[in-house]
Amino acid sequence: MPPTNRRHHLCQLSALGLAVSLPVRAVSSSSIPVLRVLAWPGYAEPEVVKSFEQIHGVQVELTIIDTDEALWRRISANHSSDFDVFAINTAELQRCIRHGLVSPVPGANIPNLKKQLPRFQDVRSIRGLVHGGKAMAVPFTYAEMGLIYDRQQIGQAPESINALWDVRYKGRVLAYNGGSHSFSLAAQTMGLSSPFKLGTKDWPVAVDKLIALRRNVAAFYAQPDESLELFKSRQAALLFANYGSQQLQLLKGAGLDVGYAIPKEGALAWLDCWAITRGVRDLALASAWINHLLGKPASDLLRTRQGLASTTEEPEHTRPTDRRVWLEPVEDDDRRNRMWARIVSGDRAAKVLAS
Amino acid sequence: MRLGIATRLAVVLALLGALAAGLTGFYVYEASRDLLVASAKNKLLTSNQVVLRRITLTREMVTRNLQMLSAHPASLRALQHPQTQDLDQLATLFRLMMDSNPAYFQIRLIAAHDHGIEVVRVDRDAVGLLRVDDADLQEKGHYAYVSETLKLATGQTYMSRIVINRERGAHAGEGKPALMMAMPVVDTDRGVQGVVVINLDLQGMFSLLAADLPSQFQLMLANGAGDILVHPDANLAFGFDRGQRQLVQEHMPPTLPLVRGDADSVVFEMHEGVYASNPVVAAFIGKNIEIASEDGRLLLGLTQPIADVVQEVDRLRVSIVNIVVGLSLACLVVAVVVASALSRPINAIGRAARFFAVGQVKTALPTHRQDEIGDLARSFSRMQDQISQQLEELESSRQELSDLARHDGLTGLANRRLFEERLQSALAQRRRHGGELALVFLDLDKFKDINDQQGHEAGDEVLKVVASRLRANTREVDTPARLGGDEFVVLLCPAPEPTQLAALARKLLEAVSVPIVHEQELLELGCSIGISRSPVDGLTAEELLAAADEAMYEVKQAGRNGFRFATPIPG
Repeated sequence: MPPTNRRHHLCQLSALGLAVSLPVRAVSSSSIPVLRVLAWPGYAEPEVVKSFEQIHGVQVELTIIDTDEALWRRISANHSSDFDVFAINTAELQRCIRHGLVSPVPGANIPNLKKQLPRFQDVRSIRGLVHGGKAMAVPFTYAEMGLIYDRQQIGQAPESINALWDVRYKGRVLAYNGGSHSFSLAAQTMGLSSPFKLGTKDWPVAVDKLIALRRNVAAFYAQPDESLELFKSRQAALLFANYGSQQLQLLKGAGLDVGYAIPKEGALAWLDCWAITRGVRDLALASAWINHLLGKPASDLLRTRQGLASTTEEPEHTRPTDRRVWLEPVEDDDRRNRMWARIVSGDRAAKVLAS
Repeated sequence: MRLGIATRLAVVLALLGALAAGLTGFYVYEASRDLLVASAKNKLLTSNQVVLRRITLTREMVTRNLQMLSAHPASLRALQHPQTQDLDQLATLFRLMMDSNPAYFQIRLIAAHDHGIEVVRVDRDAVGLLRVDDADLQEKGHYAYVSETLKLATGQTYMSRIVINRERGAHAGEGKPALMMAMPVVDTDRGVQGVVVINLDLQGMFSLLAADLPSQFQLMLANGAGDILVHPDANLAFGFDRGQRQLVQEHMPPTLPLVRGDADSVVFEMHEGVYASNPVVAAFIGKNIEIASEDGRLLLGLTQPIADVVQEVDRLRVSIVNIVVGLSLACLVVAVVVASALSRPINAIGRAARFFAVGQVKTALPTHRQDEIGDLARSFSRMQDQISQQLEELESSRQELSDLARHDGLTGLANRRLFEERLQSALAQRRRHGGELALVFLDLDKFKDINDQQGHEAGDEVLKVVASRLRANTREVDTPARLGGDEFVVLLCPAPEPTQLAALARKLLEAVSVPIVHEQELLELGCSIGISRSPVDGLTAEELLAAADEAMYEVKQAGRNGFRFATPIPG
């Protein structure tokens, strides 16, 4: 399940895992213009690439990466001049902008932007997309971390993240074993303006919150299949779906009567965008690629084959009004993970805060 | 190059021998190899069962220790009314148990209350055993080994999934493959009060197991889903902990039935993938975990490089090659011997035939042999004898025929043909070496009268007697011949002096004139003799005969019974 793995890496923003990069197609002819694309598995399906090549009479040189580290290495090498267009999440995009590796997107060249859902057309509402008054990337696909609940045990869809702490569900809650997201979750319940920026005074409160979460959960999971097993074996009522809609499909596929809810605090969500490099050779062609990928065939394949949401259609299991909190770099990833490891190990607050 | 039967036979025999030896060697090698591989598989499976048995024994021992600890009164007291004395006593007990069980990373008493707070905990660390301070005790209620064990009844054991222990502060066990085994501490009135947990050092345990196995055996362990837990290549173990699952059924597809639960054991060879350069035989056993556990099943595997297995057969291969080469050489020698033994008598017969053909009769033949060649030699010998005998007979007949052709049948004297041959020969002799020869021509007088009056028999008798008298009165070197009718001639070569010739003529006249008795009758006869000499009277046979005949005729004319020289001799 490539999208899951990919999201797993993304969510952890981790340094774990091997950086794999596969040049999918080698380019030989020099006369045909070449578009150099860097993307995640499943983003540029073969038929999508082929139709683009036919329409524009060009050749696409597609390179696949599956970790943020590999992406950064590829894009930052030769000051981004090895590629024309690439897919990147909003958090990593900031780093590229800071290093001057991306060009503003010429919106006028991309008519399909009009097909996007309003919330994605309004790039200003998405933090980090606009720089110096110019849109630096086009939202492409996303997934949010909602709450999955057992309809038998919880009649009404939970409204708030606080449901995870609800003692009525003690021992029947499953949470994700990841430091960054867990602290963001705690920060959301604390009502902080940005769940990604914990202030000095916020840490003890967040740690207490997470210890309380620990005391309420049946277990923490890491992999989607593990969450499914635990959901069944612990007769769980509520699950923090770090893997979003895919996890929902997995549980439903196993015959569980589950619902999906986006809490009112907003669901943490990752958003992958297409961006154009500073070293782009042909800006018009790169824009055409983005336009092509926002077209219906590409969007449909993204949904049907990869189980990912497109920015042009509202998914079935969410409502247009649902709030999403797009992931951003956190204030101190290392500290969050260090403390989280302590919390998961069962330490009490003093011990956690001292780590 | 012309190859003889012997060479060809030797080559064919030698090749046949080498082929037979080679094929036998090859099949022996193959069969031995298959046997060894099959026996290695059996051995692996048996060893695997032994290892599994030991694991089960270890688990049972842990269970007994858990029973002892969970049933210990101090455990329940420590959970319900903790007193320093009880806690210390338990800590001491834990220490003692860990001292005697080096594979225990940790023993803990965990309360059901207070979110699964640890009550007593002894850890193993780098230097030894360590009782964890109160402040460092942790809440473990969210771990399955606590929450699931709390659901069990007295004496029941829980076994955790085998994972890398990511619990911070676990000392020696942190970051290591761990297996938690736990048992509830039960108050008969108030139910489960807590759990006792033993954390096992999986790596240590398996190192110990591996140490008892032959060095070339490799031990593998996978959980029910196939996730590799123990593997010679450490990078494959606990892949799921790094976000990349490594499944035994993907690395070794023949294990799939075990993972699916369709089989309890599989034995196979791996020649593909990473095993291409170093193929292995492998035996895997699937073992259901009979106690409460989330893994359900464990897969235990042993592998052994095929190279090790067939090592013995490789030594055998060297011997086989030696034997094959030796046998082939022996076959070559035997082939040469057999071929030459067979070809020698044939050659002898052939040689005999060749010699016989050129007339050298009778060479040695292998007639003494009691086989087909002996028969052939004997038949050949008989044939040789027969041919020789017939040739001799033929020669004597030829001789007879030749005699008949050159002699007068009635008198036995040379006939005209032989006489002419001799005369020609004598003339040729005379021409080469000089000297003289003479012809004495003799015609009987009144022979016709005897023949007419007395009959042919009397005439024949007369001719015979005359012939014998001629023979008796001539030299051995002379040739008396009957030319036909009553005509006789004597060739004298070398010719005697004319006087002696004349004496001879007189002697012959006298001898012929002696009356012959035939059927009591006296037959009177005489003869006329003409003598010619060469070279005086001629150089050719015709000249000489004509001269002698003429001289004889003159005698007849003169009144018979006398002799005359063709050329009268002086005086």
